[in-house]
Amino acid sequence: MSAPDPSPDRERTRAAIRAGVRDGLLLELGYIPFDLAAGAVMAQTVVDPGVSIASGPIIFAGAAQLVAIQLLGSGAGIPLVVLAVFIVNSRHLLYSASLEPHLEGWSRKQRLIGAFFLSDPTYALMISRFERPEGAGSKREQLGYYFASSIVLWVGWSLLLAVGVLFGGLIPPWVPLELAIPLTFLLLVLPLLKDQAGVVAAAVGGLAALAAQSLPFGSGLIIGAIAGLVAGGIVLARTTPREVASDA
Amino acid sequence: MLDLLAVVLGGVATYVTRVLFLVTKKVRPPRRSLRYLPLVGPAVLGAIAVPGILAPRGEVSLVETLPAVAAAMLSWLLFRWSKQLVIALVGGLILWWAIVFVLSVMGLRT
Repeated sequence: MSAPDPSPDRERTRAAIRAGVRDGLLLELGYIPFDLAAGAVMAQTVVDPGVSIASGPIIFAGAAQLVAIQLLGSGAGIPLVVLAVFIVNSRHLLYSASLEPHLEGWSRKQRLIGAFFLSDPTYALMISRFERPEGAGSKREQLGYYFASSIVLWVGWSLLLAVGVLFGGLIPPWVPLELAIPLTFLLLVLPLLKDQAGVVAAAVGGLAALAAQSLPFGSGLIIGAIAGLVAGGIVLARTTPREVASDA
Repeated sequence: MLDLLAVVLGGVATYVTRVLFLVTKKVRPPRRSLRYLPLVGPAVLGAIAVPGILAPRGEVSLVETLPAVAAAMLSWLLFRWSKQLVIALVGGLILWWAIVFVLSVMGLRT
């Protein structure tokens, strides 16, 4: 018997890369209004446009970028900006904790590089890929899909943000885009509302942020997030038996 | 220059949140907090989405809030139906633009 032909694995890896590019592009399409609107909002601050554009490839997380640029524009100091970015992006802690069990064969170097791209859409694509009945395939297929989709999203996000910053002001006033941002985040939060506690966390977080939105340095968002976490936590503690996942 | 430094440090803070539990099995979230981690996403994303929908121009008012809420409801329905972010987002935006256009023609919105 001859040795197994390696070409099927190579072909499957290529197919995974093509799927990653396709899925990344499709998801990026949905981000176009948000990306352009975010860039236009950043352009309205006193922050240098170059810094706003640089926030795309460096932070690669829309909400945190918006908060950071708006805080800088309102005169906040570096510690508050970094703290706000950390709090807004703390949901990524969940993403990495949730994804880690699936990355059994990944090397430390691959994880270190892959972590840079672990944004909302990348996580959404990857976790749905892993949870397919047929799984995400071999390690090479996983790596191919992950890096193809995430690099497409990273490049697309950064380029569209730059277009929004540079040309967002040229969007005619009869094509307002400001609702694109909250609508996008509403659509991102909907799949996460799996129980009563999640609904309460989102609703209380949103209403508290609304009530606190006149506070300086964009701190309404942080206050809203903390209020949502506390309220959701109380509901969770009352509605769910106190047990921790066995794989903790 | 300080602004760029803040963005770079923000990038570092973001990377820490993404890499912390990915890079080693030795570092895991505290057992007690694991239970509450799934609430982080809803709380943060809700805090971003809700004020923008209920107060699109910074304050709650009939002519601003109602069109945005209608658009949000349509987006939600379209997302439930199609599971496609693009369809839901564009559908909601089109409805919002239509309502805003009619209100502007009627002189109710500037």
